[in-house]
Amino acid sequence: MDAADFVNLLVSAVLLAGIYAAMSVGMTIIYGVMKIVNLAHAGFLMLGAYYVLELHERLNIDPLVGSVLAFPVFLLAGMLVHWTLVKRIPVSDQPTLASLLLMFGLWLVLQNIGYLIWGSSDRSILTSRTLSSMHLGPITIPTVRVMVFIPAVCSLGLLEFVLRKTWYGRAVRALMQNRYAGRLAGIPVEKMARLTFGVGIGFAGAAGGLLAQLYSFSPDFGHGFLLRSFVIIVLGGLESFWGAAAGALVLALVETFSILVVPAGYQPAIAFSLLVLALVLLPGGIAGIFAKKHRWA
Amino acid sequence: MGWIKTGDEMKMKWLSALALVGLLLAGFGAPNATSNPAAVAAKDIPVGVVLPLTGREAKPGQFQKEGIELAIKQINEKGGIFIRELNRKLPLREVFYDDGSDQAKSAGLAERAMSSDDVVAVLGGYSTALGEAESVMPDRYQTPWITTGAAATSIFNRGYQWIFGTLSPVDLLGYTTAEFLGTLVDSGRLRKGLKVALALENTDHGVDYGNGIKKWIQEHGGYFTVVFSESFDLGSPDFSGLLQKVKNAHADIFLADAHLQDYITMHRQYVQAGLHHTMISYGARGPETDARKALGDATDYIFAGIWWSKNLPYPQVKKFVGDYKGFTGREPDSWYAATAYEAVRGLAAAIEKGGALKKATIRDELRKLDLRESLLPGQVLRFGKGGQVDTPFVIVQNKPGGRVDLVYPKDATNGEAVVPPAAQK
Amino acid sequence: MQMGRLLNYRVAGWGTLLMVLGILPRFGISSNLTRLLFTALVWIIASVAWNLLGGFSGQVSFGFAVFYGLGAYAAAMGINGGLHPLAALTISGLVAALASVFIGLPTFRLRGPYFAIATIGVSEAVRVVMTNLSFTGGASGYRIAEHGRFRPLEHYYAALGFSAVAVVISVWIHESKFGLSLQAVREDEEAAADIGVNPLKAKLMVHLLAATLTGIAGGVYARYAAYIHPQGVFGFHTSVAILLMPIIGGAGTVAGPVIGGFVYGLVQEELVAAFPQFHLLLYGALLIVIILFEPRGVTGWLVKLRGFIERIWRKSATASVS
Repeated sequence: MDAADFVNLLVSAVLLAGIYAAMSVGMTIIYGVMKIVNLAHAGFLMLGAYYVLELHERLNIDPLVGSVLAFPVFLLAGMLVHWTLVKRIPVSDQPTLASLLLMFGLWLVLQNIGYLIWGSSDRSILTSRTLSSMHLGPITIPTVRVMVFIPAVCSLGLLEFVLRKTWYGRAVRALMQNRYAGRLAGIPVEKMARLTFGVGIGFAGAAGGLLAQLYSFSPDFGHGFLLRSFVIIVLGGLESFWGAAAGALVLALVETFSILVVPAGYQPAIAFSLLVLALVLLPGGIAGIFAKKHRWA
Repeated sequence: MGWIKTGDEMKMKWLSALALVGLLLAGFGAPNATSNPAAVAAKDIPVGVVLPLTGREAKPGQFQKEGIELAIKQINEKGGIFIRELNRKLPLREVFYDDGSDQAKSAGLAERAMSSDDVVAVLGGYSTALGEAESVMPDRYQTPWITTGAAATSIFNRGYQWIFGTLSPVDLLGYTTAEFLGTLVDSGRLRKGLKVALALENTDHGVDYGNGIKKWIQEHGGYFTVVFSESFDLGSPDFSGLLQKVKNAHADIFLADAHLQDYITMHRQYVQAGLHHTMISYGARGPETDARKALGDATDYIFAGIWWSKNLPYPQVKKFVGDYKGFTGREPDSWYAATAYEAVRGLAAAIEKGGALKKATIRDELRKLDLRESLLPGQVLRFGKGGQVDTPFVIVQNKPGGRVDLVYPKDATNGEAVVPPAAQK
Repeated sequence: MQMGRLLNYRVAGWGTLLMVLGILPRFGISSNLTRLLFTALVWIIASVAWNLLGGFSGQVSFGFAVFYGLGAYAAAMGINGGLHPLAALTISGLVAALASVFIGLPTFRLRGPYFAIATIGVSEAVRVVMTNLSFTGGASGYRIAEHGRFRPLEHYYAALGFSAVAVVISVWIHESKFGLSLQAVREDEEAAADIGVNPLKAKLMVHLLAATLTGIAGGVYARYAAYIHPQGVFGFHTSVAILLMPIIGGAGTVAGPVIGGFVYGLVQEELVAAFPQFHLLLYGALLIVIILFEPRGVTGWLVKLRGFIERIWRKSATASVS
């Protein structure tokens, strides 16, 4: 494999990492603040994809614009979900099985509502950008991947800015460290939880819209990405989004370069194996998993 | 979650469990009156049809259903099939099940049709996977089964006695594809010694396709070399890894074997990755309208080896295309409806020849069937030793502007094969 | 005394059910219903098994398909190799048991949702490997060469027999000290360790039992279907089914998984035939409702119903007295 091929792979991996990071950010926020493993994340990715598809087909709105528009819509949807469902389960400093199963049930419901509305055939978004690619010397980059990478990275940057520079961001980080202390410090925990859940879902919807421009999707969409999101969260840690970005980069690099040694058929197993290895072997960095004190509500 | 229950609670639960079971049983199961269809006064001929209307294979499944229903409609319009034993005509009645593109369901529904719906035969099994699952049932329940959409030889070389298929074997498809490319070399439009990259779906279908291609290449030395061959999982959203490897192989010809959805996904990513080959094929997929819609002119010049084309120059094909258009409002998409239509025609002929509604008789007649004026290439419907037909394949090629031309074999063509010019920027 | 009364009701209740199911096929019920009952019984084996780990011990696994699939392939390959069905099913159980140790040892260090997620990863990884392994058929699946007539009742009684075994094991554990220790582990693992329970050993033990039973369920299914493939027996939807049944029926109870299995096996197909995608919507909604309002599932509702009826009964009894 010559240098041009190697650089092509590297560029591919970096672009993919940006997309993976954007995709997992929604789950990371919700997990960090509320310790809820949001299995329904996959469902919202899927709905985001269809949302952008419908905007594109009915109103001729460009999918990139559609993805941005998806954020506020899904933010509100997320807040609604929190208000009706999530706030009724007991909260805890540790992830609970009740929340896991609740989100799983929600995912099943979302998936099948998707089937009812849109049927089960694959859909995709075709724009003038979809089939074109950019050439920088010997390196070929599909245009659409770059067009998706940029908003993905921007959204991460925006999030990082919000977290560091705004009151809301500081409150979120405080809650991620210690929920009860945050309450003592005067943070309105329930309202924050609702808003943050909404933000997480908002990111999921927008990410879904971005992913829809890269892949075909059906209501089943999101299953594979869900597991990849877990890997990223676990690899990168929960305290910061730089961690998630690092995790995304590791996953993307491993996936992209593994094709050189692993037959294509085994590729999905890479993410799964990484997940299991990360969960089981990763010491210290993911302190929360192996902590001594464990109660789940 | 639960606590340990006291005795009374347990009692309540068992009674309720029993009541629940009792209710469900009452709802579902009445004792069987009789399982001998001949004893009951037959008023129609039930035929089971198990096809995917939902799930991944929904589109082709729907086309096949339409082909079957058109054939049944035409037969019933003439009063049905004449049954010598009963001395009257009986109409065909479709007993349809949607298997949701799921193999376990497909097998279960075929089993249900054969064991409790008293059908005389079952048609179905679109795609090799669903066909493989269903193929266990015909011998078990001694009911003839004609697959309208499964072609892998592994189904037909197991010694099953009750299975038939209207699709020619897939390795012949691979062989014909390579043969077609060989004619392009002979006529000077392609150079000799070109390199071939194969991407095969991870099923018996893909394996057979690859074997057919490799067989022809081996038999005709000097024409082509296979420089890359790997299989991929159907239903992946992302083929970029595979395509990167294809790119690294620097081949001239790209031959893939995929299902409709994967063809669309893969080719989109193929174009995005800036890949280019002189000739491209996706096995038996190419001209489908969905692909044209999803990919636009990126599908131009893709060729496919298929079991039937609406451009075949037979009068019965013209008539079928017209009838289909009248029935559904559109022209047949690729080959799907035709093989299903022919299966019904074949079954009807076998029932009539046999003169009785006995499944063994029908099966024997299917074995001896020699039906002329078939829609299939070669114009004869005849089941081979294992139950599979042996009709030749045709090659079609997408042309700009939505055209699809038949380009091989020579006696059936309506257009010239085109070797597209080298990649434009 | 209390224990005696308990056992009497238990034996009577389950025994009646077993008898009813045992003689039904002889009464000429339709072959379709026999098939549906068979399906339900196979599901019940796996459902009861999952409940041992997920309900009794609180370790929710999203990856039980790995045991189901391994059992299915083991049995299928064994039968093709000439083994007697019972021997083949024994191998199913053994293979699954062995796998449970390999999977449990590393993953039981994880708690709650992390364990659940790890089990998804394991199950899916095995599925991908099986899809690509050529000697088991890969994605084309694996077929059992059938000889002789097909006897549906043979399969039916095998399923019935093993589900009876599963329920007996479930009842036994529920009433035993082992069951108490599992409950302790479920409620608070550290406290359980403090009072002398070895959580890891307990979890591994129950995991092994659950896996063995699930493997046998897979083997029974494989014998019947005569054709299995990785997407089906190792698929995520199989893991989902195995966990939905006991949770909806009532996790942690003995009857819950049985109720769940019956509902899933019998009602499912009618729903699927009418609305191919509708059934998961229903189960998802049920799951949400159960998590929010009645964690003991259908069993919990039945208990509440019984309490309600009892209160009305008492009211009318006291009213008539006064």
